[in-house]
Amino acid sequence: MKRTVPLIICSLTGFILIISWFLPAAESWGEKVTHWFDIVAAFAFVLGGANLLKIHLQKISNRRIGWGYSAVTLTAFLVTLLAGLFKINVNPSMNYPAYSWSGNYLDEGGLLWWIYEYLFVPLSATLFAMLAFYITSAAFRAFRAKNIEASILLFTAFLILLGRTYAGSLITSGLPDSLAFLRFENLTIIIMSVFNLAGSRAITIGIALGVVTTSLKLLLAVDRSYLGSD
Amino acid sequence: MVQHSIIKSCCKSVVVIATLLLLITEGYSAEPSPVEKKTSIQPAKNITIKDYPGDLGTSLIIEWELSEDDQNDPKKSFVIAYEVYRKTEKTEYKFLSQVTYQKNFYRDQECEPDKKYWYQVIAIGKNNLQSIPLESLNPGIPILQWFDSRRGWIGILMLFSCSLVVYFIWIARKGKKLKIRKIAGLDAVEEAVGRATEMGSSCLFVPGILDVNDIQTIAGITILSHVAEVTAEYETDMIVPTCRSLVMTMAREAVETAYLSAGKPDAYNEDDIYYLTDEQFGYVAGIQGTMVRDKPAACFYMGAFYAESLLLAETGNSIGAIQIAGTAMPSQLPFFVAACDYTLIGEELFAASAYLSGEPDQLGSLKGQDYGKLLCAALIIIGCTFATLSSLANHYQWGTGMESSFSSIQTYVSENILGEKGFRP
Amino acid sequence: MKNSSLLWLVIFLLAGGYLIFRTSHGDMGISYVKVTTISPEKSNVQWTQYSKASKKEAGEENVQFSWSRTIGLWVAALSTLAIFSFLYGDNVFYKISESVFIGASAGYAMAVGFWDGIVNLLLRNLTPGLMRESIIPSIPKENHADWFFIIPLILGVAMLARLLPKGGWIARWPLAFFIGATAGFRLVVFFHADFIIQIQSTILPLIVFTDGSFDWQTSLKNITIIIGVLSCLVYFFFSVEHTGIIRPISRLGIWFLMITFGAGFGYTVMGRIALLAARLEFLFSDWLWLIDVE
Repeated sequence: MKRTVPLIICSLTGFILIISWFLPAAESWGEKVTHWFDIVAAFAFVLGGANLLKIHLQKISNRRIGWGYSAVTLTAFLVTLLAGLFKINVNPSMNYPAYSWSGNYLDEGGLLWWIYEYLFVPLSATLFAMLAFYITSAAFRAFRAKNIEASILLFTAFLILLGRTYAGSLITSGLPDSLAFLRFENLTIIIMSVFNLAGSRAITIGIALGVVTTSLKLLLAVDRSYLGSD
Repeated sequence: MVQHSIIKSCCKSVVVIATLLLLITEGYSAEPSPVEKKTSIQPAKNITIKDYPGDLGTSLIIEWELSEDDQNDPKKSFVIAYEVYRKTEKTEYKFLSQVTYQKNFYRDQECEPDKKYWYQVIAIGKNNLQSIPLESLNPGIPILQWFDSRRGWIGILMLFSCSLVVYFIWIARKGKKLKIRKIAGLDAVEEAVGRATEMGSSCLFVPGILDVNDIQTIAGITILSHVAEVTAEYETDMIVPTCRSLVMTMAREAVETAYLSAGKPDAYNEDDIYYLTDEQFGYVAGIQGTMVRDKPAACFYMGAFYAESLLLAETGNSIGAIQIAGTAMPSQLPFFVAACDYTLIGEELFAASAYLSGEPDQLGSLKGQDYGKLLCAALIIIGCTFATLSSLANHYQWGTGMESSFSSIQTYVSENILGEKGFRP
Repeated sequence: MKNSSLLWLVIFLLAGGYLIFRTSHGDMGISYVKVTTISPEKSNVQWTQYSKASKKEAGEENVQFSWSRTIGLWVAALSTLAIFSFLYGDNVFYKISESVFIGASAGYAMAVGFWDGIVNLLLRNLTPGLMRESIIPSIPKENHADWFFIIPLILGVAMLARLLPKGGWIARWPLAFFIGATAGFRLVVFFHADFIIQIQSTILPLIVFTDGSFDWQTSLKNITIIIGVLSCLVYFFFSVEHTGIIRPISRLGIWFLMITFGAGFGYTVMGRIALLAARLEFLFSDWLWLIDVE
């Protein structure tokens, strides 16, 4: 019962959605289920939030190493959550001024907007910017090419990088027209439109087959690991 | 006398030059161009109305031949647009929409099934000129289709591919042994967990940053259950920070079952699988911190990743962990390949669960996947063969019959079997 | 005290002194706002709206110094530096920023999930009248309750059964529903878009004639693409050992894949550098006012 009913639900839902794709009357069911998922994911936030509170409160109460940071996390979490749920400092909408809750939760001037603008965005952008350093260190590691495959990867990356810069165009600008295809910017186009295209297409086809097989295994209950035990 | 003749010849020259100038500059005067001289405009021709295929009977396609005054070159074209009008049995013609010049069709999506609609098309020219309306004599009737015939061939191919998978699962269940080649990244799982055990360290498993409505996440969690069995056997801690609450729920179920299967239910600690945050970079900041402080000896990244893939992989490198990654995000594969010890490329992520389980029916599904690739190769080879023959026949003029046969076969494969037309002619 | 600690202390003191000096002279890190009083027509309600103003507008009427935005600017700048400090090593500043980031982003996601998921999707469709009277007055009066949305409500509540000590198994039902839906939906979508359409795009003539003559460049390009796709597919074969004739074809396939990965790698480098440039611009322009001051 605890496993059988979910397996039946899983299979039925999946096969109904597969068939619905071929029936114009039912074509939008997949999109509808996506909206439903967004709603259930919002309910599931309660589980995540409860877990977050539990983990950090336990750390604080047991005075484990780093409990101070847990206190910071919880404070930030609760302040942000309350600011968003209660639309603190958010003005009503211009079109409906009599309705005090009509403003958007992220309107400029609100507390959630402040947290988003001055904490969330800069921190996200900075972590994103760290990639510049990490991509360089990854490239330096790849420079120690130990085999042909790594050498091909490195060489291609180098060509593409140069082809996308002004310096690259300048280096090979002296080549005659008969050898124009060897200019970095043209080599970049050839690599992207031929070799990269072929490889990407094969990866995509393989992924599609993988998705089909995995989906079938789930729908036919061959793979049940997501369900847990009885 | 001489002076008089000089003056006379000068005057003649002036007259000649002035006449010449007048003649030359006549082309640059403000005389109207041929396009601007037009006072009437040719209408569109041969209007047809067809039912739009594969819908709920809410669309009709109106097609017409372009007006003779409609040219590709905007400077030469007198037509600038076409206006489409519609009427029903109960209403008169009402304006529906306008399409630009050189466009000879319009899809009306505001119809009701089995209702009659008449259309007229008016060519609109420069200087606000309009052509006489081109009216449809017969009405168009949208029909509700229960089955989208454009997807007929896709259905057949999908059924065939799925049947292959099901067939090989069935064959494997019957006891036939199937050979699977080695996948280095998956063979290294036990080695990685063993290394963590020897070092007295933990394992870290990151199931991606998307939710359970992504198939890569589901694939990642099925791999998690197998890795959890190994860590249970080795009695090594495994931390699983998750990015979504539902993923945390599902991961807990999977790991608990794995520990149960390994006979170590007491070793399971649900707090090892915890929710961090939904936000991409908040999540990776938390994992980076965990990696640098707890220093796991083995890191597994299995699922959907975006830009944070490189952050994770490089941080793992900095702590000297053995890293096994797998994703079906083509844009992130280069970074995992460059930075991790082993990478499962695309399809290998989906094959991993079957490979690690070693169960016959799971391995049978891999065989079915391979036959899917054979189908793909066969379609490509057939299509390319006919495309090449069509090109050769067209160039060397092998005869109208041969040219059209090869061309038809190639077109049918491309547009019907693999394209949008499906069963429609 | 270690030499490195002493060095860091000196650096912090010097930097801190520099920042204090410049800030006290009003040369950096100040935010201004334009104050507008909003009085919608036919309403007694009025409020003050603050919008960002540039440094050039300071001194104008209705433009004033903003404490909250100035503090926010400093918080953003110092958090940025704290995150960058991780490149040197784990430290207390990074740990604080990380903790704040995790907490704030989790809270933000939940707030967004509540308003966009529960209120705007569920309650808007289940109780449009109530929502129109309270939170979403823009809902048209002709909208009626869509009772299909009872289903996600039931599934959502079933999900919460996970919190109960013995009711956890009920939570499997909504999970199973969405896993089944995902599997079914993705199967057809991936098969169509990533299998069929990719094959269709790969059907190319191997011999191409352009303007009546053999076009060797396009022909070579097409042949290379087809060989590349087929050899990569051979690499991905699982049920065949890569020996014999398969081995060289598979090797060719992996070379194509390495070119693909190299191309992807090289293509992304400049984009990542641009991200760093954007953050440095924020620090030097918006905070320190050393470049492009508006």
